[in-house]
Amino acid sequence: MSSLSHAASRLVEIARKEGATDAICEVEDLAVQQVRFSNSQIDAVNSWTESHAMMFVAVGKRVISSDLRNLDAADKEARVLVELGKRAPPSKGYGGLASGRFRYKQGRIDRRTASVDDPSKYAQEAIHAAEAAGAVDVGGTLYIRLSKLGIASSAGPIGNDESASVELSIRAFSQPEASGHAVCCTPSIGGLNAREVGEHAAELSLMARNSVQGEEGKFDIIIQPLFFGSISQSVSHMMSALRVEIGSSMFAKKIGKKVASEEITFIDEPTIDSTSRRAFDHEGAPARKNVMIKDGVLKTYLHNTSTAKKFKTRTTGNAGPLIPTPYAYATQPLPFHPVVLPGDWDVEEIISDTKRGLYLNNTWYTRYQNYTTGEFSTIPRDAILRIKDGEIIGAIKNIRISDNMMGLWKNMDAVSKQVQEVYWWAEAAPPSTLPTVRARNVNITRSA
Amino acid sequence: MLNAAEAKDGVKLAEVRLEHRIMRDLAIKSGDVSSLMSSVDSGMNVRIALLSGIGFASSNRMSKAEGIRLVQCAYRQARSSKRKVPVSLSPEAAVRTNWEVQQRRALADVSTEDRLKFLRGLDSAVLKTKVKVHGRFYDVRDWEITGFLANSEGSRVRSFLPRVMIESTNVVSSGGETEQSIREWGGTGGWEVIDRLKLDHVLPAEIKMLKTQIDKGKKVKPGVCDLVCGPEVAGIAAHESCGHPMEADRILGREMSQAGKSFVTPEHIGQGIGSRYATVIDDPTIPGSYGYYAYDMEGVKARPRHLYKEGRINEFLHNRETAGRLGLHSNGSSRSETYLKEPIVRMANTYVAPGDFEDDELIGAVKNGVLMHSFTEWNIDDKRYNQKYVSREAYFIEDGELAGPARKCILEITTPGFWGAIDAASKNVDYSAGECGKGDPMQGVAAFMGGPFLRLRGVMLK
Repeated sequence: MSSLSHAASRLVEIARKEGATDAICEVEDLAVQQVRFSNSQIDAVNSWTESHAMMFVAVGKRVISSDLRNLDAADKEARVLVELGKRAPPSKGYGGLASGRFRYKQGRIDRRTASVDDPSKYAQEAIHAAEAAGAVDVGGTLYIRLSKLGIASSAGPIGNDESASVELSIRAFSQPEASGHAVCCTPSIGGLNAREVGEHAAELSLMARNSVQGEEGKFDIIIQPLFFGSISQSVSHMMSALRVEIGSSMFAKKIGKKVASEEITFIDEPTIDSTSRRAFDHEGAPARKNVMIKDGVLKTYLHNTSTAKKFKTRTTGNAGPLIPTPYAYATQPLPFHPVVLPGDWDVEEIISDTKRGLYLNNTWYTRYQNYTTGEFSTIPRDAILRIKDGEIIGAIKNIRISDNMMGLWKNMDAVSKQVQEVYWWAEAAPPSTLPTVRARNVNITRSA
Repeated sequence: MLNAAEAKDGVKLAEVRLEHRIMRDLAIKSGDVSSLMSSVDSGMNVRIALLSGIGFASSNRMSKAEGIRLVQCAYRQARSSKRKVPVSLSPEAAVRTNWEVQQRRALADVSTEDRLKFLRGLDSAVLKTKVKVHGRFYDVRDWEITGFLANSEGSRVRSFLPRVMIESTNVVSSGGETEQSIREWGGTGGWEVIDRLKLDHVLPAEIKMLKTQIDKGKKVKPGVCDLVCGPEVAGIAAHESCGHPMEADRILGREMSQAGKSFVTPEHIGQGIGSRYATVIDDPTIPGSYGYYAYDMEGVKARPRHLYKEGRINEFLHNRETAGRLGLHSNGSSRSETYLKEPIVRMANTYVAPGDFEDDELIGAVKNGVLMHSFTEWNIDDKRYNQKYVSREAYFIEDGELAGPARKCILEITTPGFWGAIDAASKNVDYSAGECGKGDPMQGVAAFMGGPFLRLRGVMLK
């Protein structure tokens, strides 16, 4: 037992002795290095270090959680938490924790990634590559994150995990309004190809030159994995049983029904080698592959133990953080690594098969009028390329996709063989592995 | 820590910040407790500026040894940047001050039982409307943040900021159709902030309004007409299409790969952007406001900034780095979400300045138009030029009178298009609270958005 799961186990034991009927604790050591760059030079190099314990206790149906930030005082804080728990109001919906003793497939941080002490050189390499490929202005971020996690639960789970992620995101401009965006996400520094990412962003920016005002109407859109990552974020979060329960999901009452085209199989797969690989969820249930949509049909929501009980099913191993995080309530079931399975098209084939379309690099600001029905809009950014009769004929700008999200997924008719892991800022998150896809007859609007 | 940082070669500026943060959170879902959280956090950071770059390091491990490690990290990181253009920070006078926000009813004194009673009171008030409402997710969260900033120029700023917010998610259904309402309220101070909001009246009114929108709302016929925007819509426009594009770090490109650039350039100061009613102010010093602060994270005294002034681009939001690059002084816009993250240029409380009309005068002079009271879906492009607002609450205006609910009215317009179409603003400003997202990693900071009623002539509605 490592010191982290040992520390977690000790805090759980303290909580039990103080009167908690259930307790779970995750102790995390996190070290992050970040290089931020813009205007083709480094703006700041940042680093942050956190050691903390996230703890959830129940006294019967009375539940409370806390982020114990001072590990030197964690024993005392755990006792205080149980005392607060005894006075907490009961939560009727609390359904217990994942129980059992599990064997986990523990991750390891590779030594090279852990020992990077000058991340700036990778950022410089990417900047130079983008400039050499024709970009005149380059910005982006490089992250190296190292996380060590120990978990212990009074219901049995105990284990450790380690994960690393190296994320490079580059936006290159060849003109003031001509940009391309490319990312590389890898769990190991050996997988980072800074030069290639810089070049790819620059190439896209060159294709986006001399853009003209886009027009309104129905277009077939071909979306790159980065774009797909942004819109699949909101879709995968709507798979959370808690979102379904509070009426903020277009997937409510849709189990067994068609919610996407037959070409789409959408899974949550945290066990593959990726930047969001994990051994267990936040209750200690083993992380596992969950098929959310199979051949266009909705198969399951994502559950923790409490939502599973409410929905009369079993946890899917998707218990979210014990404390609230941006865009998620405490313990909300969450996707960890969404994947759309590859299809049988080459990207070039999809383009040449498209008569009147748009090839889209990236998007942001996806917002819903109504999560229940799926009416939304999103704003494509970076390379927006016009396709006519199977050829890219130029670039446009200033457009918006205003449509229905489920309709968009139902209209996806071509899925590429090639997939890419993508993660970018707060938009294409969590990390996901996605193909390029085409959706037919998508509504494009613009400012009057 | 500061001594260790100052001892390094070539340090232009060293800053050390310590923070102690207490946070409590209670959420209920359909009347039942969903989650309860209580957390205490302490941590520190150091930021070192050299000519060659800026390094920032933070940690929640509070010890002298950890402080020295952070200094070494930040210094090494600053050296590794190798900037082509040397770092230039605006010269600012050193300050020694303490500031704090008073609480009439201390947040720490409000028990979990009282918080639950409050949230359940909201739930009961909503249920009493007899309208079918899903979700009923209500969350009350508060923070007490104690800070201490010291820099190598002699500034020493101590602060205490209590802040509270409420979030609600309701989905109203009627006749098989639904409308959503996701709202947030907040302020600085104690529990009196919550009492002032009178949400036990506001939320039921919102629920009934949404049912009316579903039952009686009619689609707007697409076309050009006059539009009266309520304070919530004026506020989001002020925030998105004035506040963000006027952030100097975006203008200078620092957010180019995340939140984006800006249609505004440094050369745009003094150029026209709208009508004479287009005056937008960002003011961190509004007492009780959600985005309140007295000194920013660099120890610069906060003050109102007139971003757009009478239709002209007037003043950017600056920290010391952006001001230094443009040869100006900072106007106190440096903020960070927590000690863990670097401070960057941020808005505080952004609002459209009031005009000289009564609310009903604005509507009375519209022959054929729409009043968009509030919005649901919205977005804007990354240069902050093309924006969209979809109404949550809207009404037709016919011959100067409100003439029934208009459902899902859509305004998709450019930034000059919006600000240039205003021909009247009412006298009273109202604010909404929200978390403004920016930075990498994403930092959510508390902000007010507001304005009076605005009348826009001849805009296209969809």
